[in-house]
Amino acid sequence: MWSGSWRVRFQEDKVSSFRKSKTAEPWPENATLYQQLKGEQILLSDNAASLAVQAFLQMCNLPVKVVCRANAEYMSPSGKVPFIHVGNQVVSELGPIVQFVKAKGHSLSDGLDEVQKAEMKAYMELVNNMLLTAELYLQWCDEATVGEITHARYGSPYPWPLNHILAYQKQWEVKRKMKAIGWGNKTLDQVLEDVDQCCQALSQRLGTQPYFFNKQPTELDALVFGHLYTILTTQLTNDELSEKVKNYSNLLAFCRRIEQHYFEDRGKGSSSIRSS
Amino acid sequence: YSTVHSLEPLPANGPDFGALGEEAEFVEVEPEAKQEILENKDVVVQHVHFDGLGRTKDDIIICEIGDVFKAKNLIEAIEAHVLAAALFNAPLLLGEDALPNGLDVTFEVTELRRLTGSYNTMVGNNEGSMVLGLKLPNLLGRAEKVTFQFSYGTKETSYGLSFFKPRPGNFERNFSVNVYKVTGQFPWSSLRETDRGVSAEYSFPVWKTSHTVKWDGVWRELGCLSRATSFAVRKESGHSLKSSLSHAMVIDSRNSSILPRRGALLKVNQLDAQPTEPPKRPLKILVLSNVYTQRGAQTYNPKIKGWMFYLGGPTSVRGFSMHSVGPQSEGDYLGGEAYWAGGLHLYTPLPFRPGQGGFGELFRTHFFLNAGNLCNLNYGEGPQAHIRKLAECIRWSYGAGIVLRLGNIARLELNYCVPMGVQPGDR
Repeated sequence: MWSGSWRVRFQEDKVSSFRKSKTAEPWPENATLYQQLKGEQILLSDNAASLAVQAFLQMCNLPVKVVCRANAEYMSPSGKVPFIHVGNQVVSELGPIVQFVKAKGHSLSDGLDEVQKAEMKAYMELVNNMLLTAELYLQWCDEATVGEITHARYGSPYPWPLNHILAYQKQWEVKRKMKAIGWGNKTLDQVLEDVDQCCQALSQRLGTQPYFFNKQPTELDALVFGHLYTILTTQLTNDELSEKVKNYSNLLAFCRRIEQHYFEDRGKGSSSIRSS
Repeated sequence: YSTVHSLEPLPANGPDFGALGEEAEFVEVEPEAKQEILENKDVVVQHVHFDGLGRTKDDIIICEIGDVFKAKNLIEAIEAHVLAAALFNAPLLLGEDALPNGLDVTFEVTELRRLTGSYNTMVGNNEGSMVLGLKLPNLLGRAEKVTFQFSYGTKETSYGLSFFKPRPGNFERNFSVNVYKVTGQFPWSSLRETDRGVSAEYSFPVWKTSHTVKWDGVWRELGCLSRATSFAVRKESGHSLKSSLSHAMVIDSRNSSILPRRGALLKVNQLDAQPTEPPKRPLKILVLSNVYTQRGAQTYNPKIKGWMFYLGGPTSVRGFSMHSVGPQSEGDYLGGEAYWAGGLHLYTPLPFRPGQGGFGELFRTHFFLNAGNLCNLNYGEGPQAHIRKLAECIRWSYGAGIVLRLGNIARLELNYCVPMGVQPGDR
């Protein structure tokens, strides 16, 4: 019996040291998150994605510094913002960042069982396919928004004629992607209908709970917060998009709750979201 | 009959896509029905005829051939005809008329074809490329030339369109407009680069020198070559716009551009480049408002960062790897904002002169001393500090080797180099 327990402990040591070698260094102090320029350049969809990642890292209690660079989109290894620079690794987009953070030993969804994890993934897909696509549609395919806001903002860090060239190039790219997924022929009203349906599904799932999976926030909460909060606080050419979200009071309360708990409180104290 | 040897090569023209200097041609004049030694006979040119003109305009012919009328003897008449070779191939026929020493000159002309194609291989610094060209010479009748060139190489792929127009009567005065796109990969910095540009240049002679003024506007896109690119280089990814004005002055009295026997080349080049900054006027847009604030987000300063100088390689400081001198980060070389480079070379025929007069003439032994330095400038310190910075930690190398001349376009060097003054980080 004595030898048996010794063997078990030896196995445990091996497993834990293996896990340590995988996580290697702990989360460094100078971890940085890169996004486009906040005031003049960043667009609705990118701001939502960046906010989702910031919320997620806040929920994991991992400090990160936000740096704004005009060429953040081109610096990113996948071409999408935001991306984080941790140690000497560069990881972009929420999905891979969640995986990366998990490998370092932090996770928000460990407490969920398999069914719940599948459900969480399904809802995250819903947000990405519906909300994010609707945001992109509104930004790049609605002529009023493109002319008044998107075009000017996207090209703002660049001199003439580069600002126009890059904006047109990006618009053409997004329109092509919309056609590929079947949104090319949708009207604005149809898109807003889709947004409404998505919000309805989220609202029903949330119900009266504080977070989607009861007491503890997960990456789904971070993602939903990122998108809904950005939609609510961004002024566009018209208010139709934010009105759709405002119809659901529990979603509004959800956003306020996360904002208060993870941004305002901490912002005053030890400033986990530090910006330079 | 008389033969004429080594006429002056034509003035270099066209954009510098690697327009290969046309070698002076040997021209022979057909023997005449009347076999007379015409060489030193005094003549007066009475008439000049042109047979075979199509699209070439009259005024340019009058400009070019005006000299023929002034010719006092046969040599001058023939030399005047050389200037016309950009327009057409023109063998010279002579007739005799009226005056006992009168001369009727008839040019039987074959205009250059409207479209010519070419295929070349080019060699540069440790890279090779194949070049396809399409040329439309004498497009509108006044020696205008449109060239399209496509180049596919080991490091760079490019294509470009250029329009060239010389001034009638004075081919050394010319201008050209180019449009181009170049894509290249630079493993020493883990960078991928795409340049799209427009340039316009104007050349004119002043006394014995040749001046070129050029404006160049380039849209540059930088990207990372791989996921392992260092972060310092990754930060430079993206788009930038550069507008530059340059002036070059050349005095070239060499008799060959690859291995000259006599003469000297002096080239003075100045470039003023501006990274065009975005306008500072406020944009009339609706601002995203978020309740929580982020204090003073750091903004990107579009300083002229992607446009660095590099040092090192087989034609700058030998003994160092290509562009691998100076500031670097995780193995990627970043280049510097200022540099200087110099070299001292001595070429001698091969020892014991094997193959003298024939094959051996293509070789030379080569002794060299190269030096250079590269650094970044700290604008707060002033020019004295910059000069001091460039003067310390000089990289230099010396050695010897053999040079082989390949036609009139390239040279192959095999050198034994001893690099000195190597700083940590150089390769």
